Amino acid sequence: MRVPLAWLDEFIDLPTRDPSELALAFTMLGHEVEGVTELSSDWSDVFVGRVVGIEPHPDADRIRVCQVDIGAGSSQIICGAWNFEVGATVAVATPGAVLPGEFEIGEREIRGVVSRGMICSERELGLGDDHTGIIVLEDGIEVGIPFSEVVELPDVVFDFSITPNRPDAMSVLGMARDLAAHFDIEYRIPQVYWKPVAGVPDLRVKIEDPLGCRRFTAMEIRDVSVGPSPFKIRQRLRKAGVRPISNVVDATNYVMLELGHPLHAFDADSVVDRELVVARAWDGQTLTTLDGVERHLSPEDLIIYDGQGPTSMSGTMGGARSEVSASTTRVFMEAASWDPPTIMFMARRHDLRSEASTRFERGVDFNLAEVANQRASALVAEWSGGEALEGVIDVVGTPEHPAQVDLRLADVDRLLGPGFTVEEVTSILRRLGMGVDGSDPMHVIVPTFRPDVTRPADLVEEIARIYGYDRFAPSIPTGPTGGLTGEQRRQRKLHQVLVGAGLSQAITLPFVSGRHLMDLGLPLGEADLLTIKNPLREEESKLRPTLLPGLLEAVRYNLSHGSNSVSLFEVGSVFFTEPAEWDPRLPEQYQRLSWVRVGDVGLGTLGVHPRTADASVSLGVWRLIQDALGISAGVSSSSPPGFHPTRTAEITIGGRVAGHVGELSPRAARLYDLPGRVAIAEVDLAPLLAPIPPARGVAPSQYPHVDFDLSFLVDSGVAAADLISQTSETAGTLLESARVFDEFAGVAHGKKALAIRYRLRASDRTLTSDEIAVVRAGMITAAAAALGAELRGA
Amino acid sequence: MDPNLSLDELLASAEGVLTGATDLVGLERAEASLLGRNSVVGEIRRAMSGLDPSERPRVGARLQEVTTVIAGLIATRRVELEAVGESELLRDDGVDVTLERVTFPRGAIHLIQQTIDEVTDVFVGLGYMVASGPEAELAWYNFDALNTPPTHPARLETDTMYLDWGNPDDQVLLRTHTSPVQARWMESHEPPVYIVVPGRAYRTDTIDATHLPVFHQIEGLAVDRGITFGDLRGTLLHFAREFFGPQTEVRLRPSFFPFTEPSAELDVSCFACDGGEVGCRVCGGSGWLEMLGCGMVDPNVLETAGYDPSEVSGFAFGVGPERLAMVRHGIESIRHFIDNDIRFLRQFR
Repeated sequence: MRVPLAWLDEFIDLPTRDPSELALAFTMLGHEVEGVTELSSDWSDVFVGRVVGIEPHPDADRIRVCQVDIGAGSSQIICGAWNFEVGATVAVATPGAVLPGEFEIGEREIRGVVSRGMICSERELGLGDDHTGIIVLEDGIEVGIPFSEVVELPDVVFDFSITPNRPDAMSVLGMARDLAAHFDIEYRIPQVYWKPVAGVPDLRVKIEDPLGCRRFTAMEIRDVSVGPSPFKIRQRLRKAGVRPISNVVDATNYVMLELGHPLHAFDADSVVDRELVVARAWDGQTLTTLDGVERHLSPEDLIIYDGQGPTSMSGTMGGARSEVSASTTRVFMEAASWDPPTIMFMARRHDLRSEASTRFERGVDFNLAEVANQRASALVAEWSGGEALEGVIDVVGTPEHPAQVDLRLADVDRLLGPGFTVEEVTSILRRLGMGVDGSDPMHVIVPTFRPDVTRPADLVEEIARIYGYDRFAPSIPTGPTGGLTGEQRRQRKLHQVLVGAGLSQAITLPFVSGRHLMDLGLPLGEADLLTIKNPLREEESKLRPTLLPGLLEAVRYNLSHGSNSVSLFEVGSVFFTEPAEWDPRLPEQYQRLSWVRVGDVGLGTLGVHPRTADASVSLGVWRLIQDALGISAGVSSSSPPGFHPTRTAEITIGGRVAGHVGELSPRAARLYDLPGRVAIAEVDLAPLLAPIPPARGVAPSQYPHVDFDLSFLVDSGVAAADLISQTSETAGTLLESARVFDEFAGVAHGKKALAIRYRLRASDRTLTSDEIAVVRAGMITAAAAALGAELRGA
Repeated sequence: MDPNLSLDELLASAEGVLTGATDLVGLERAEASLLGRNSVVGEIRRAMSGLDPSERPRVGARLQEVTTVIAGLIATRRVELEAVGESELLRDDGVDVTLERVTFPRGAIHLIQQTIDEVTDVFVGLGYMVASGPEAELAWYNFDALNTPPTHPARLETDTMYLDWGNPDDQVLLRTHTSPVQARWMESHEPPVYIVVPGRAYRTDTIDATHLPVFHQIEGLAVDRGITFGDLRGTLLHFAREFFGPQTEVRLRPSFFPFTEPSAELDVSCFACDGGEVGCRVCGGSGWLEMLGCGMVDPNVLETAGYDPSEVSGFAFGVGPERLAMVRHGIESIRHFIDNDIRFLRQFR
């Protein structure tokens, strides 16, 4: 909303006119200033003049020689415009004036006739785009005064973003009222010329929906002659960002900007049966609005009907059928108060947000309707030469009364801290136009223009606002117990471990399409996916049941931007259609950890080609996590959808499947356009972060160790982990470690050799060679018995 | 041969001979020539038995003296030559320290995560706990419990994403802020409450330089006896100074949110200019940076939670880590946060 300072001046005598000081005052009142435009003018030599004579140019057909009175005798000026006659009041740039575009006016001769200045058009003065003719001002403006007085320049225009709780602030009046409270000064409502004639509007008004229409007032103006508004008014409207249309329409906009109450003018003779009825529409009805669009109405729309049907959309936009036109001679002026949500939904449904609807959807003052109507009707009468009838039709649907709130000093103390006195509070509230009686509690009567103030807390905000938000001394309360939980600390550690392993954290959007998941080979139907009713893009209307599509896209993005090696992880939510266990009103959703790695990974060494990502790298990352977080987990071969069927492990923690670690299936890699092997993993977060029992401290043995190697030949399907666990069992507590140090597949078809280094050590003695031999033999026997393993080289 | 004379000559020549030895092999040869069997010393030693017995002690003593001195000279020369050899070895073994022969890979924590961790740590230091809650949330917790009327425009589908799930009376949506967690927390905890709630939030916004449909929020809530507007101001001032630096000032100005009353916007003084420098690239010359929304918890919110607003009061704020990070690190577009370009991610370690 834009407010020109010159307009504000009519309402209040401000202690400062400095734009930045005023912007600060507005800001600290809660009215965010989005822009300050300083309109300047160097029109020291442009004056109001009156054309006192016109003669044809002796030597040119298209221009005329005018005599113009500018207060100090008449000047001869040649003019090419034809939209005026003798007696017209005009804007005259005299020699020496510099117009926008560095256009300097001088005395010059045109085909033998001297011209001492220029009669200006709007465009020449930079006031508007009109260049069809010169500016013709209305009569009654004093000749010889500087033209800048007429257009109120220089001026400053403030552009505000008004919060939705403050409908009252969407007007010059509302801003004046808040500034008056801020500076503790008076404000006024400028009076308009108001001389109605006797009579009541020839109109019946009926409210069939009293909740939708709280109040409907109507007035009538007769003998209207539709034409332009006074020039000064048009300039004010333009500065406020509203296009001037005609004196009748301008009057409604002018009063809306000034007082904050939108109005609508009907061409009275187009109102069929001289009746206006407010009611909800029904399906199938249509209404062509002022913008020429045919609107299909719905039963929630609140419509004004006449004898013929829908004729106006309440509080939003008038109808074309009853629009004021150049031929209008009689006007019904409507000032009505509407139910805010009704207007809001209607405006959005029809994509019709107007200056009027933005005010009505916040709530326009119930008690302002009649005042606004009289003011607008008076202005129409004044500007159009018509007569306003004295009578006002005033139908109330739902009456509204000022809120009454009891405020205790304790309410103020509790929220703002101690120190305020009844006198201070009373004085602040009175400055805001509130009535205050009594001391503690203070009985406060809130004017109806402040629908946001209904409770003590609302009054407390008003007190703080006027007292000054920045005057409260800062203090810092602290909680009794704070800190990260064990899970939260473990999650941070997890992030660090992954970063240390060369992965970067990604954040991807959780919206997916069925295609993404099909490419991954997930056997999910549409029904298995949680669906957004109103997605941003129809093709991404599902919520992800896996983090992988987003990460794979991110990896592809990086590859296409020149990175050869990409390692990303994400911790984020996945969503399912089953009800959540912990709150069955919600769909199941939880956090997962996922990663994708392509290209080089691990230690980089000059001249040696580094390790590239594959299933083993993924498993290495997993073991690092397991080790860092002290998780005991089972790892076994698995073929989940999307993963490589023979290069993927299932991770079990506490007997439950926690996720999978391995490689992307070659098919998915092709569909995602990812070259080479792609290391991937997806593991539920909660089991990773679950508390683990504290580790027990064991004193390291001081006795010597014994290392020996055993190389077994086993079927290639035998898991190394099984061979280790079978052979380890017989060693019992003597086994300190066992580690496969070589894997060799080329021994015999369907076989592989695994070489394991064992380390034995007792905690209480030096092992004898006999003991060692027994353990070694036991291992060989166990491997043979459980897994058919043969000892190589035996 | 006069043994004494010969020994004097030997001693005089020893230094030159040893200097002539430039490596350890040469030193071996020099040692042999000075003290070996065929050296003057060897000859004299062999000739001792032929000497007059009265001469022997004197010559013997002299011989001993000279060999000791020469042996000392040899040992000194050996140390010298060994040091030279070692330094040559070390030189040949050197590395170019500017060449990256071994690189340990390291990724980066996402800047948004770093920001969240940093902000939560500030509040953890003030005794806050860190809470979380579901992203697919009931409209009740997202709106109703936070005093947002049924007709509030934020509930419209143009602002909020709704899910096609469950019972129509328990509308499920993608939470538009992390504030529903305050309602859930208060429902199950008695005051005092000091929590921060980082997490993802969703709005029906198309992606541009300042909007994402999925973004993050850190909600803060303190409810206790005697919490005042000054506590809000002091707490946020502390936070702003921790995050933007000790010189930072804050400005609270009135605003509006359904869940707070009084409500405020917090501006932070520009850290890039000295307050209102014309054309400052960070603040645009205003001297202030709009940072977050906050206020005193609305009594309706406290009542819905089962708290007595005449007994306890509180403040709440919601800050966007994207905004914090963009301002502090000079990031011009919010899109970078979801592009996941590793060249961007790795700038912030």
